[in-house]
Amino acid sequence: MVKKKSDVYSVEIYGTKDLEKTDIGDEGEKYKDLKGNKRKKKSEDLKKELELDDHKLSTSELEEKYGTSINKGLSSARATEILARDGPNSLTPPKATPEIVKFLKQMVGGFSILLWIGAVFSWISFGIQLAQGAESPFDNLYLGVVLALVVILTGIFAYYQEAKSTNIMASFSKMIPQQALVIRDAEKKELPAGQLVVGDIVEIKGGDRIPADIRLIFAQGCKVDNSSLTGESEPQSRSCDFTHENPLETKNIAFYSTTCVEGTATGIVINTGDRTIIGRIASLASGVGNEKTPIAIEIEHFVYLVAGVAISIGVLFFIISVSMRYKILDSIIFLIGIIVANVPEGLLATVTVSLSLTAKRMAKKNCLVKNLEAVETLGSTSIICSDKTGTLTQNRMTVAHLWFDNQIYSADTSEDQTTQPFDQSSPSWTALSKIVTLCNRAEFRPGQENLPIMKRVVVGDASETALLKFAEVILGDVMNIRARNKKVAEIPFNSTNKFQLSIHETDDPDDKRFLLVMKGAPERILERCSTIMINGKEEPLDSEKAEAFQTAYMELGGMGERVLGFCHLYLPENEFPDTYPFDTDSMNFPTSNLCFVGLLSMIDPPRSTVPDAVSKCRSAGIKVIMVTGDHPITAKAIAKSVGIISATSETVEDIAKRLNIPVEQVNRREATAAVVNGMELKDMSLQQLDEILCNHSEIVFARTSPQQKLIIVEGCQRQGAVVAVTGDGVNDSPALKKADIGIAMGIAGSDAAKNAADMVLLDDNFASIVTGVEEGRLIFDNLKKTIAYTLTKNIAELCPFLIYIIASIPMPIGTITILFIDLGTDIIPSVALAYEKAESDIMNRRPRNKRKDRLVNEQLAVYSYLQIGIMQSVGAFVTYFTVYAEQGFLPSTLLGVRVNWENNAINDFEDSYGQEWTKYQRMYLQWTGYTAFFVSITIQQVADLIIRKTRRNSIFQQGLFRNKVIWVGIFSQIGIALILTYGLGHVTALNFTPLRFQYWFVAVPFAILIWVYDEVRKLLIRRYPGSKLVGQEHVLLKQSLSLVVFLLLESFFPT
Amino acid sequence: MDGNASAGGMEGQHRSPHQKAENKHEEKVQDPDRREDETKAEMGSKTWADLAGEMKMFLWNPEERTCLGRTAKSWGLILLFYFIFYTCLAGMFAFCMYVMLLTLSPYTPTYRDRVSPPGVMIRPYLNGFTIAFNVSQPSTWQPYVDSMHHFLAAYDDKVQEEKNIECVSGQYFIQGGNESEEKKACQFKRSLLQNCSGIEDPTFGYSKGQPCILLKMNRIIGYRPGAGVPVSVDCKVQKGNESDLRSVDFYPGNGTFDLMYYPYYGKITHVNYTSPLVAMHFTDVKKNYLIPIQCSLNGKGIINNVNSDRFLGRIIFTLSIGK
Repeated sequence: MVKKKSDVYSVEIYGTKDLEKTDIGDEGEKYKDLKGNKRKKKSEDLKKELELDDHKLSTSELEEKYGTSINKGLSSARATEILARDGPNSLTPPKATPEIVKFLKQMVGGFSILLWIGAVFSWISFGIQLAQGAESPFDNLYLGVVLALVVILTGIFAYYQEAKSTNIMASFSKMIPQQALVIRDAEKKELPAGQLVVGDIVEIKGGDRIPADIRLIFAQGCKVDNSSLTGESEPQSRSCDFTHENPLETKNIAFYSTTCVEGTATGIVINTGDRTIIGRIASLASGVGNEKTPIAIEIEHFVYLVAGVAISIGVLFFIISVSMRYKILDSIIFLIGIIVANVPEGLLATVTVSLSLTAKRMAKKNCLVKNLEAVETLGSTSIICSDKTGTLTQNRMTVAHLWFDNQIYSADTSEDQTTQPFDQSSPSWTALSKIVTLCNRAEFRPGQENLPIMKRVVVGDASETALLKFAEVILGDVMNIRARNKKVAEIPFNSTNKFQLSIHETDDPDDKRFLLVMKGAPERILERCSTIMINGKEEPLDSEKAEAFQTAYMELGGMGERVLGFCHLYLPENEFPDTYPFDTDSMNFPTSNLCFVGLLSMIDPPRSTVPDAVSKCRSAGIKVIMVTGDHPITAKAIAKSVGIISATSETVEDIAKRLNIPVEQVNRREATAAVVNGMELKDMSLQQLDEILCNHSEIVFARTSPQQKLIIVEGCQRQGAVVAVTGDGVNDSPALKKADIGIAMGIAGSDAAKNAADMVLLDDNFASIVTGVEEGRLIFDNLKKTIAYTLTKNIAELCPFLIYIIASIPMPIGTITILFIDLGTDIIPSVALAYEKAESDIMNRRPRNKRKDRLVNEQLAVYSYLQIGIMQSVGAFVTYFTVYAEQGFLPSTLLGVRVNWENNAINDFEDSYGQEWTKYQRMYLQWTGYTAFFVSITIQQVADLIIRKTRRNSIFQQGLFRNKVIWVGIFSQIGIALILTYGLGHVTALNFTPLRFQYWFVAVPFAILIWVYDEVRKLLIRRYPGSKLVGQEHVLLKQSLSLVVFLLLESFFPT
Repeated sequence: MDGNASAGGMEGQHRSPHQKAENKHEEKVQDPDRREDETKAEMGSKTWADLAGEMKMFLWNPEERTCLGRTAKSWGLILLFYFIFYTCLAGMFAFCMYVMLLTLSPYTPTYRDRVSPPGVMIRPYLNGFTIAFNVSQPSTWQPYVDSMHHFLAAYDDKVQEEKNIECVSGQYFIQGGNESEEKKACQFKRSLLQNCSGIEDPTFGYSKGQPCILLKMNRIIGYRPGAGVPVSVDCKVQKGNESDLRSVDFYPGNGTFDLMYYPYYGKITHVNYTSPLVAMHFTDVKKNYLIPIQCSLNGKGIINNVNSDRFLGRIIFTLSIGK
């Protein structure tokens, strides 16, 4: 499969002429080696298929080839036939993993295997006991069943969670069926686009999505936006002429899923569904390997760690118990107990819940996460490769600067402008505003009067829209002004003239002159002018003024803005009377010696939230790389204005310019910023790309094709970075797939991009990514807390077994009881930790290093296991011994008592006071011990929960009551424990007994000890921030000693 | 490498200069390793040889002089830390246990709710509750007889007379005074068991196929069984034909536990206390047949019908006497 896809990929690349061929070749070689030649044939076929020649054929040849008629179209019968042959015209969604496989994966993944082993061992020992005719073999049968149930239930739960989050996405792929205007049976029909077949004649007009790959046979002013295919943001004109050998370059083919921006066209469908160019690219996305998410790696690592501990302790104690002459069967039962104690059964479910809670929270902030694990990936992101248009910018042209009266004015470009602050008193502005208003064909769609101006929908191209809105904001009702200045003639913009002209009556009833207004490319406009308006007066256009114009033009252009020139002329009344017949073809009116009025420049301005978001990224140690298909100058200007290139940093070119030396002589290391052109990128070797990515902290890739995005992403990943990539086009999907986290745009994004992405930005806003990063980091921190919380009590569950084996005391806690802790009392508190608020530094530290900052590291495990966990065990054992002692079994009696204690035949077992106990009385006492042990762990877990709220801050700094959910957790924990002990205390199978009230408090001193100990640790961390105290206990030791000495000195010799 | 440098920077933020230097040193050392890792990761999983080498390096790194990733000094300090930590914890544990034990009385346990009402045991008890022998083969019943003799040694009339006092029958022997005072115990002479005393018939009837079985009620401190009326014992066939068990004689009395033996004051003060017994003489039992017999206590406050505890106030054993 991989092989096939990769070849499609290269085909595509040759087609669009960029990307490094060597690299792809290498990759191809690799795959060949791996997969052999088997797939070769298939891929060759694919290559051939792309050799389209429809663009070279004449209309009649096409008619013949597809058995159709341009005027009549296909017959319905024929169309049905072809539809049956080719299938519907829609992209096959990527093959999903069968549900049953997903489900089974949940059943055997992670700890499930260990628990299955436990269950199987239980059944084996049940079988042996049954065969031996022991008295109560059913305990082991039940235990096995319970373990299996635990696995199955947690599996179902995880599966359900996963399925729920996938469902959110499924709703996305359900699109409103697209309609297409088709000629069939010599009639025009509206058909769902899915029913199109090869040979259909379709009509397209501005605003439509192209319903299939189409060979145009008629076109009028047709332009298509190919950005989803090639990434070129400029609309491209389409005609019926064959202009290029390459089907992707020629003008007479329009591609599926691109949009027709303006004009009309008619064409023959030549490819449908998956055979379209887009269809092939979409399928290649699934060929790019999906990287394992960082959190998946972390959880795997964690599972290995815990499983390693479980198995090694289990095996160790199996050997010990065998060598201590326990029966093999007993040893196996111990082994099960140790495994069950070690495996945090509820944890994976907790992690899933926490992740989905975060996913929900992120969805509220406009980040829709497809894959739960991606939630955290965003948090570990170290490089964001962001699109410019729409993501960093508002995706609409807006007037940014004006130049009149020899002066540049800035306009407000924010999203919700209602006024414009620049000086509008000059008469030149009045003239300019008139031209802007009149020489404009764009119009608001009717019925939007109540909407803010900036939100209204406009019919017209991007610059005209910008001008219309600009005029509407300043002057008010533009349509009314136009109505008062009736248009008498008009020449629309075309690429040869490079200007647009219209002639109007004036709204001044006394002034019978016509007003000719013109706008266009500034240099062309200036050529036609002989005067220039300064402060409302026409002055001759001398070289000095022309120079001023040039400077302004260069300056605005240098800011990456699209500049338009404006001029006008009042036609003399005597030459052009009321009835003058203006003829736009013969141009019977003056188009030269006009009066130049001013320049307006437009840009797609950055979103107002973006600069802040970029600086947040910066302080969070995330590198933001801009990747755009736009012109380098524009890209750089936007990068500067949003802070991707900071104010002080320079590119190599900037330095060269400043020092006045050739670019080659500049020390490349001095430049922190770089603007890389797609053409340069094409010729670069991988090493050169790596060098750029390494040496420059601020990088802009301009004029890049979406294919090059993939190269950039791979380059970043070679640096060991976790890369987030935004994208909207179909061609972005390989990069989105390749990235550690692909982010598709919810509004502008194509379905293929959304399919390939891990996350969908509902508002297309870069700032939402940053909030996503924050959430991702928070969840990582909080999962760490959850895991630390969960691991701690594992020791308190494990120690009883070990001491039971070694000291032969009555069993302190039962396997079922352990399951009740892991899956009962501890679940809600560990989820509650996911609600913990961020500690203040969350966005001020660098992204975590994939290799070093693990979810569960040695320190965390050691601190949880060997320090807090041991304290918990000691506390629980105090309760255990108290319960037994108060019933007559002093600790000294308990040691070594196991064999007789468990002997069913001994029913006059003597306690420390000389009383005699039956077996069942002892068992009941043992269950009371279980319950006491359970209650103690629960009580101490409350303390554990509280200390895990923070990593570094004191609990008092963080506030005990800020996270209310923690309290829900604490109360639920105690509530569940109360229900188990008192409510279910009489169900003997569960091994709980009603417990005397005072035993709930025996472990409280230890709970307090845990809290105090951890507060001291945190105090030391804050006081001596030089060390990572956990794990470096010797530092802790040194420092606590010095603190003690200090306090002693202080108290003895008060200063 | 960028990632590497940044990692250093991050960690460095919180480090003292000394450690920073140390850290940098570490990094330099780690760097080539890391690259190696990368290339290996690209090539696929590590080979076993690499893994073994790594393990060896981890176990003992001669360059850094580290064992398991720590230097001797580091190990010393960490062990010292844990030594102190666990010593303190052990101290706290000991202290808690000490305080807890202080609250206990050495004479009476705080609670006796789990041990009462009393359970029941029988003698002879060898390794189960099946007493099976053939009259004609002494070796099959001799162990039972030995066990009885051994058990009853403490009940020898001489021993009892020497150590214990004679009490007034028919009433509880309540001994007031200080809790710590030594309590007197009542005599329970072996001879009270008459035919089952083993004095006249040293084989306790086993040689005749009429075995004696002793029944013992579990001791519970302060427990006064029967609330003024002596607890009695009766036996019946547990499952099966009632006529299999034709006659049983009970000693002493009619198979009652005399009130004078109660209450029990605990093993510290009631040193010479000997549990009273009831002997059951199965004089006429169907031979060559497994007979499940249930002997129960009867009296006020005695529970003998709980399913979960088959030794509470009753005992079930199987008798099988062959010829």
